[in-house]
Amino acid sequence: MRKMLLAMAVGLFSTTALGAGEHGGGHGIQSDVQIDRTISFEAGDMWFMPGNLDIAPGETVKFEITNTGNLEHEFVIGDAQAQEAHRRMMQEMGSGGHGGHGDHDMAEGDHGGHMPAVTIAPGETATLVWTAPENVDNLEFACNIPGHYESGMSGDIVIQS
Amino acid sequence: MAASKFPSFPLSRRQVLKGGAALGLGSAALGLTPAWANPWGQSNVYPQGIVTGPEIALDIRRRTLPIAGRNARPICINGTSPGPLIRLQEGQDAVLRVTNLLDEPTSVHWHGLILPAGEDGAPGISFAGIAPGETFTYRFPVRQHGTYWYHSHSGLQEQLGHVGPIVIDAAEREPFRYDREHVLLLTDWTFEDPARVMRNLKTGEGYYNYQERTIADFLADVRENGFKETAQMRAMWAQMRMSSRDIADVTGSTYTYLLNGHAPGENWTALFKAGERIRLRVINGSAMSYFDVRIPGLKMTVVAADGQPVQPVPVDEFRIAVAETYDVLVTPEADTAYTLFAEAMDRSGYARGTLAPRLGMQAEIPERRRIADRGMEAMGAHGGMDHASMAGMDDSGMAGMDHSNMAGMDHSTMAGMDHSTMAGMDHASMSAMDHSSMQGMDHSSMGAMDHSNMSNKDHSDHSGMLPAGAAQPGSQYDQAGIGIVPGERRVLLYSDLKSFAPWPDRRAPERELELHLTGNMERYMWSFDGKKFSEVSGPIHFRKDERLRLILVNDTMMEHPIHLHGMWMELENGAGELIPRKHTINVKPGERVSALITADAEGSWAFHCHLLYHMDAGMFRVVKVS
Repeated sequence: MRKMLLAMAVGLFSTTALGAGEHGGGHGIQSDVQIDRTISFEAGDMWFMPGNLDIAPGETVKFEITNTGNLEHEFVIGDAQAQEAHRRMMQEMGSGGHGGHGDHDMAEGDHGGHMPAVTIAPGETATLVWTAPENVDNLEFACNIPGHYESGMSGDIVIQS
Repeated sequence: MAASKFPSFPLSRRQVLKGGAALGLGSAALGLTPAWANPWGQSNVYPQGIVTGPEIALDIRRRTLPIAGRNARPICINGTSPGPLIRLQEGQDAVLRVTNLLDEPTSVHWHGLILPAGEDGAPGISFAGIAPGETFTYRFPVRQHGTYWYHSHSGLQEQLGHVGPIVIDAAEREPFRYDREHVLLLTDWTFEDPARVMRNLKTGEGYYNYQERTIADFLADVRENGFKETAQMRAMWAQMRMSSRDIADVTGSTYTYLLNGHAPGENWTALFKAGERIRLRVINGSAMSYFDVRIPGLKMTVVAADGQPVQPVPVDEFRIAVAETYDVLVTPEADTAYTLFAEAMDRSGYARGTLAPRLGMQAEIPERRRIADRGMEAMGAHGGMDHASMAGMDDSGMAGMDHSNMAGMDHSTMAGMDHSTMAGMDHASMSAMDHSSMQGMDHSSMGAMDHSNMSNKDHSDHSGMLPAGAAQPGSQYDQAGIGIVPGERRVLLYSDLKSFAPWPDRRAPERELELHLTGNMERYMWSFDGKKFSEVSGPIHFRKDERLRLILVNDTMMEHPIHLHGMWMELENGAGELIPRKHTINVKPGERVSALITADAEGSWAFHCHLLYHMDAGMFRVVKVS
């Protein structure tokens, strides 16, 4: 039950997340949001740099994520459970049909339950504005394209003042 | 945070101490096994129990050792069979001194390593072999990284346990990270003399096949398919003097399947701490046995094939052909035991170990699946087939065809393709078809194919070649193979394998070279293009630096793992520019596969089926690059 509440909390807070790049169009509100900090992230094959993130509750961050790898990546924020659910969904999308047809643009799916997310093509930079929730201690950032999380594309977000 | 060049795996002092304590315990329990098979595996902060490059000394001798609790006399390398883990560093100049303490010549071939021909270790091809008492020094620059293995290339010595793992640490960051690694080396051990195994195979191809069909199977099929179809199917197999249950030549009736040198009952255990990401380096060092590998309860993410990084593929199971290697990542979250299960493809046995947080644990061993019957797809390549009997073909026999993929076909043509009309097909024009190509046809590309041309055209008539990276018509890359029920669980497919970036040579092939994998099952003769190695007049010639497409057509009813020394084969699995490169390619019965090769390695190289007794029987050629 607690986990479910957590997931809901994340869902709520995601309304303050503004994506640019591929997902920019999806979120109508353009911001008057005060950005406290801009953080550069690098998404490679198969890692994020930095590997973890410390943030204060209520802090609004602008992520600038550059994909320096050869593959498409996503940057999704959520708790471990939501990430896993998202991952499972992406996997099912990927293995639809009978193999050999894995060329779907898997990152284009719905990011399970409105998790703050951007998809970044190789060589591109995307931004995501996100406010850390007040009542959650730990979240993860991850790329849930099949196999990417399993290879190490995730990190902890520790939320404390 | 500073970008570190290598991923680091910090373990606390306490963890290291705990690991050390467990190691002491483990090596006592393991006795004579190679040191690399210690239960804690390896991590970057805790390397031990291996021979580390660049300078390595190996001695080869016969020793009495217990295998599966019985006295055995394997060929040992530095005192153990399988031999020590050879750990090299990309960029090193390796020096390996191999001393032969056997009473016959021996050799060590570094399987999958790109090196000068003289260092490759195939006696009679690229060097003279190592005479008894002699020390041969191999020297080569290490220009790659990943999981490989080494083995004797002399006679049938490999069957006597003359094998071991090679791990080459990467100079650059690898596209995944992990906390701990374990090597899982699969082998097949027999207490029979390998020469006797060969004689038995020549006496009767089904010598080790105890799983022939029985009257009970017949009656079961009658219930399922009706008497007429069953009888016709049986008659067809009988006519070909073959058994639909020829899945493996040598089976669990003589083999004990070993994991890191241990029989299933010995429960070799790999340790982990819950939450760790573990890299398993799986090597099939068997003489004859394919395995289906799974860890019930854990998803495995395939991150490398034949030592080469591939885009990660999460799977539940993968088939590993003889001589292949796969690297997979697993992250057991629970503090519980998991079974490492490697089931022989013919279901006649299994190798098994346990992945556990502590020694002495075990998990349930899965039930073995029933042996499969080879369906029609295995007969695809047999020109001598009686077409009349095709009318009786039932759907189960056509299992190799995936109807769901046929959507792209011209439906007007399809409508006429129901089974009743198949009987009325014009057999005259059919016989002109290359049946092997028909089989596993790439359905995705079928949409664009003109069916009117298909019926009476041989593929060699096609003007122009397929684009680089395209799957050949007749390939079955989207099928896991015999004995795997599609859809039961997610099984790795060759079509899943994609590299991260194109390989350096992006030229289109200048020419195609087609070789047929051939055999006479009854006389246990195996060959390329119908000619045993002893019957061919000269080597296959590759022009230095040419880019060519090697097409392999399997005319036999068995899988063959085809291995080329000295050069990569870029498997044209339909991944376009991102085709994976391999040292060993599994070719399924009736299948037609292709690979692009850059002939940049001057000299003479072995090219052969890696089933040991097939190679010995003549499925072997020399490739000369000049």
